[in-house]
Amino acid sequence: MAEYSRMAKGSFTATGAYQYVNIPFQPQKVVLVNQTNQIAGITANKVVEAMWDAGTNKTLVKGWDNNSAWNTGTVATNGISAFSANLAFQFGAQQQVVATTGGASTCNFEVTGHGYNTGDVVMFEGLYSTQYTAGMPQMCGIPFTITKVDANNFTVTWASNGSNYTNLAASPSGAYVKKVLYPDLYFPGVSVIYAITKGTSTTIKTTTPHNMVVGQEVAFRITSDWGTSQLNSLPNNTIPGSPIYGFVTSVSDAYTVVVNIDSSSYTAFTSNVAVSNVSGLTFPQMVAVGDVNTGGWPITSTSPYYPSPFVNNTGTSGAYRSINGPAIQGAFANNTRQGFFIGSGTVTPVAWSSATIMANADVVLWYAYLYDYANP
Amino acid sequence: MTITNTGNLGPMILQSLAPAMLYVPTPSMNYIIVADKVSMPANGGTTIRFMRPRALQPPTVQLGNSGIDPPAQVPQRDIIDAQMAFFGTGCIINEQVILQDQEGVLAWVSERLAVAMRQAEDLILRDYIVSAASQIMAAGGGNGDNPANLGVSDFSLVAATLDTNNAYKFMSGILGEDRFGSGPVRSSYFMLSSTELQPDFDNMVGSGFISVWNYPNNASALPSEVGSVYNIRILTSSEAPVARLSSARDADVYYNTVLGKQALTHINQDGYSMQLIYRDPYYSGMLAQNATLAVKFAQAQALTQDTAIRNLLCTRLSGSVFA
Repeated sequence: MAEYSRMAKGSFTATGAYQYVNIPFQPQKVVLVNQTNQIAGITANKVVEAMWDAGTNKTLVKGWDNNSAWNTGTVATNGISAFSANLAFQFGAQQQVVATTGGASTCNFEVTGHGYNTGDVVMFEGLYSTQYTAGMPQMCGIPFTITKVDANNFTVTWASNGSNYTNLAASPSGAYVKKVLYPDLYFPGVSVIYAITKGTSTTIKTTTPHNMVVGQEVAFRITSDWGTSQLNSLPNNTIPGSPIYGFVTSVSDAYTVVVNIDSSSYTAFTSNVAVSNVSGLTFPQMVAVGDVNTGGWPITSTSPYYPSPFVNNTGTSGAYRSINGPAIQGAFANNTRQGFFIGSGTVTPVAWSSATIMANADVVLWYAYLYDYANP
Repeated sequence: MTITNTGNLGPMILQSLAPAMLYVPTPSMNYIIVADKVSMPANGGTTIRFMRPRALQPPTVQLGNSGIDPPAQVPQRDIIDAQMAFFGTGCIINEQVILQDQEGVLAWVSERLAVAMRQAEDLILRDYIVSAASQIMAAGGGNGDNPANLGVSDFSLVAATLDTNNAYKFMSGILGEDRFGSGPVRSSYFMLSSTELQPDFDNMVGSGFISVWNYPNNASALPSEVGSVYNIRILTSSEAPVARLSSARDADVYYNTVLGKQALTHINQDGYSMQLIYRDPYYSGMLAQNATLAVKFAQAQALTQDTAIRNLLCTRLSGSVFA
């Protein structure tokens, strides 16, 4: 009899090669069936089943290898694992930045075998090409969502080809990147701005998902280093002491909102801050301060009647729902959670040719277990 | 002559349990101290709503002698919502443990669960503040990093920022007294800092930092208070947030939360505050072998005055490791 054990099952449609699955416990065993690959029958290089056990911490797979033969294999790194997203400031290992290539709106980072996935949040340290006098230290300490280019390169959104930026090369000493494991434990909150489009309304772009909704009330904290300091909520010369807020009128995507502040006459935003000004440089920020909404999140064809809030997006691809119940849109909410993660690691041995457990649009069935008795 | 000693006639029971338990190292829980406390009514939905009126335009234009009323104003308000969340943890204890262990297992496990719950309450507030409060990078210390180490100008800047935002200070000042080495303390906001920064504060003695021991009297000092700089009184805790190796020069970054009254609100659920739940083994399987001890609570949190709170980020003057 299993008096205190936990069992859970479910399915999802993959949006890529990796997936977080939130469940009310950290499992000791996970079994996956890639239903899409199973139904497809004999197809080269397709995983049909995967199993992970916490005792051995190995992800074992079965399926059709690159020769369309039924075979077994393992995902040695970045396979299945349990997770507990409970406290801030949990980081992955520091990795050496080999080189950077600044661009008008993005910056490419070469990091050998970085292992990151598109959507991961990272932070940089020590981005100096010449120690403390040149490089890209303006970007240090800012959380960035990455877009994976290949196994050794990724990009982040930041205007980094200005005169005050110098590309890094040949693995400068102290230049590191690390993954922020759980950047979204509470939402909405403070976001770092990487671009502002001025106009009768103001378009704000952020380095990580803003988690704002239409009707969100926002404030800005922008020092004169970045240009558009007129957006700041104080001081207010019209009603001294009364902060000036803006309201989000549309959400373009997870990183872009339009705010109802006329910024036509304001100073242009710039990220071209001198390296000599980096010490004490406060980042440009947009802060959620309230909302004017009256209802909860709308239902979708797959949601409950009273759905919980979306995290990291506003209902489009890549979003997921918090494990809480329904709330007013724009409310401060918790997103601490636990469950298991399916990584995008590739299957070995070589009979498998860079196969992953799943791919975009695959339907995956999962079964998770926590046992009363386990040895180990 | 043969001497009988403990080598051939040793005690039958070698150990004796000391009469008192040792203390459990527990951080100061500062975040709950500075939070406003609000209770969300039962049967009141999932989300608590705060309302803050906006200031009206002061009528500084004279009416003149036309006899015509000026245009009316439209009052406005800001709304802040926070969703309630539920938390809990517990232990399953086999009856043989309770029956055979010499110490009162249920008593000390109950105590640890209660402390764990209180610490969770504080850590949730801590991490929420990290995510929601805007940041100012320290620049005053001059170590060249971003953020820099703390200098007294950082305290002055943050206090001036909150003052400009018309935040309310927590503490009225302490008047000077004729006590050797003491100095008056200004009316103050609170700053919640890491214990690891205490050497940096000590380094500012004589240039703005007043140790709590040098207050004219420390009747109003809190147990975790280490001192003050200008209009900020500093509380430290080992659980204050630190982002390790995260500065521009690869040093640890400390999040010092500086706040005034009503900046942070802690909301509990009426009828669902901390509950310690003991279930006798009777309620477990057919042989009634296992008791359970658990705690659960509900909590929401909100920045109710965003203008009255800032995270002052800093590094340290020296990078010595606390081991």
